[in-house]
Amino acid sequence: MSNCSCENPLVPQIVEVIKIVEETPDVKTFYVQKDNGVPFDVMPGQLAMVSLLPTGEGMFSVSWQEDDHLQFAIKRVGVMTDELHTIDVGQRLGVRGPYGNGFPVEKCKGRDMLFIGGGIGLAPLRSFIKYCFKHREDYGKITIIYGSRSYDDLCFKEELFEKWPQEKDTQVYVTIDNAEEKWDGHVGYVPAYLEELNPDPQNTIAVTCGPPIMIKFVLQALEKMRFSDEQVITTLEMRMKCGIGKCGRCNIGSEYICLDGPVFDLAQLRKLPPEW
Amino acid sequence: MKFFKKGQIEKIVERLAEKADVFVPMLRGQQSGFFSWKSYDENYDDIIFDLLNVYSPPKNIILPQTEKMYSFDQQGQETIIKPEEIPVEPKVIFGIRSCDVKAIEYMDEVFLTRTFVDEYYKARRDQVAIVANACYNPGTNCFCKSMGVDHLNPEAADVILREVENGYVWESKTDKGDILTKQVEDLLEDQEVELYQPNRFVRKVNYDGVAEKLKDLFDHPMWERYSDPCQTCGICTYMCPTCYCFDVQVKNWGDEGYRFRCWDSCMYREYTLMAGGHNPREAAKERFRNRFLHKLQFFNERYGTPLCTGCGRCIVTCPAGVDIIRMIELIKEAEPSV
Repeated sequence: MSNCSCENPLVPQIVEVIKIVEETPDVKTFYVQKDNGVPFDVMPGQLAMVSLLPTGEGMFSVSWQEDDHLQFAIKRVGVMTDELHTIDVGQRLGVRGPYGNGFPVEKCKGRDMLFIGGGIGLAPLRSFIKYCFKHREDYGKITIIYGSRSYDDLCFKEELFEKWPQEKDTQVYVTIDNAEEKWDGHVGYVPAYLEELNPDPQNTIAVTCGPPIMIKFVLQALEKMRFSDEQVITTLEMRMKCGIGKCGRCNIGSEYICLDGPVFDLAQLRKLPPEW
Repeated sequence: MKFFKKGQIEKIVERLAEKADVFVPMLRGQQSGFFSWKSYDENYDDIIFDLLNVYSPPKNIILPQTEKMYSFDQQGQETIIKPEEIPVEPKVIFGIRSCDVKAIEYMDEVFLTRTFVDEYYKARRDQVAIVANACYNPGTNCFCKSMGVDHLNPEAADVILREVENGYVWESKTDKGDILTKQVEDLLEDQEVELYQPNRFVRKVNYDGVAEKLKDLFDHPMWERYSDPCQTCGICTYMCPTCYCFDVQVKNWGDEGYRFRCWDSCMYREYTLMAGGHNPREAAKERFRNRFLHKLQFFNERYGTPLCTGCGRCIVTCPAGVDIIRMIELIKEAEPSV
């Protein structure tokens, strides 16, 4: 059910941008706050509609919630996000939500977690990864496999290289597509790296998010490693306007990604028409 | 039975218009639709209670073609958002046919149920009373009965009018209907009249099993073939009484402006075009298929009924001759390819 607290779910609340982190040349994380708190509570994997009021609205996954702010990691890909990348701290934005089902954090309790991300796809995964660390005793071994085109394109570098590897019982594997001078780590695509690492499916839930082509090959690799469809979770993207399952466009089959998704397990996805 | 003579109908509308904005089927120039009685001009408009479906369905009365949602003024830290106040004037849709009444029922399901309530829709819908005109003489492209619509007893109607010899029977069905009845009571006579026997439907189609069968036809070559004449002009979606998809857009002058929604169409490429250029329904075939699957399968899976009330408007208005009745027949004939 909806935990949308607002009277009219289509009208945004005003938030202030309190911090902007430049993650990569085309990804920035925006920290937003309302009255020293959050406009609403979100669960990992849920979405919110962010608006630059005179320009446009866009649906983004909330990449983390702290007590006093929400974080959105946003890639510059179009009119609205281009504009968003030019704003400064202090700017007011509109935000409405939360929308969507979010990750099944309860169902995953007691399991080993395998996170597989590519590019900006780490943004939604990050909310679940950080949730696991916050509730560390509830989850088993945590493995993170992440890749980007280049070193510069890796998001959340400080967490990837410094914070997360320090967490208890956690392995972080990072790869980039092509060799570079300043990189002495693994080189190659994420699905190939996943096969090389060959994680054990026993009691494990795999959560993947990234470009469609990466997801396609990651799903094939997981199947080869004998992960069952129920053990594999991903998030889907579609164009969205309302966020509340009314405006029509984000359907795949009879499911609305904004309301019934964006998180699905592979068993659910296989029942949908192949439009994802 | 409550009855009034045909000649009284304008008086009845006039009376209802004292307390509500009454929308009446009219022929205005080349266009027929539901227009406000307040705008009626006897030199220019013809009231057409006898005509079956007017060209434009009355969905705009509850879901306006464009509708302001909120305005904003962004002056640095003094950013203000002001939700639009929705007019609360009562409205009556007078003379609406069963297919269009059913379409409002479907929209009620979409906008008022399933986790979220659409406040804009609700505010307008709450104020609307429906005075339906039962159909005893279906038209050449009418097939509502095939789509599960009771053309003689529209369920969501507050009042049902039944055309009889020389007049109409007035039948109140709800509390809202009783209020309207009180308003016009002195214009109604108590009289036993004989109801007409309804005429047969010219066009029929058997929808049974179509939703289930479509599950295996997603990749069928039929979509390529039958979408070929489609111009993706979207007239079918604009004229459809059940099509409710909307877009959200912004109008601004500098830092001030407003956000509004407007009817959108799944037939347009931009409908699913994402920032960055990816489009899951890029080809006309994919959009055509999604429209029919939404109407005949997906909506059924979610809401338990097809999203078509058999009004026939898309058949009449399509410039390429796409005919939903024929599509249903073709779906029934198709052999699943794999």
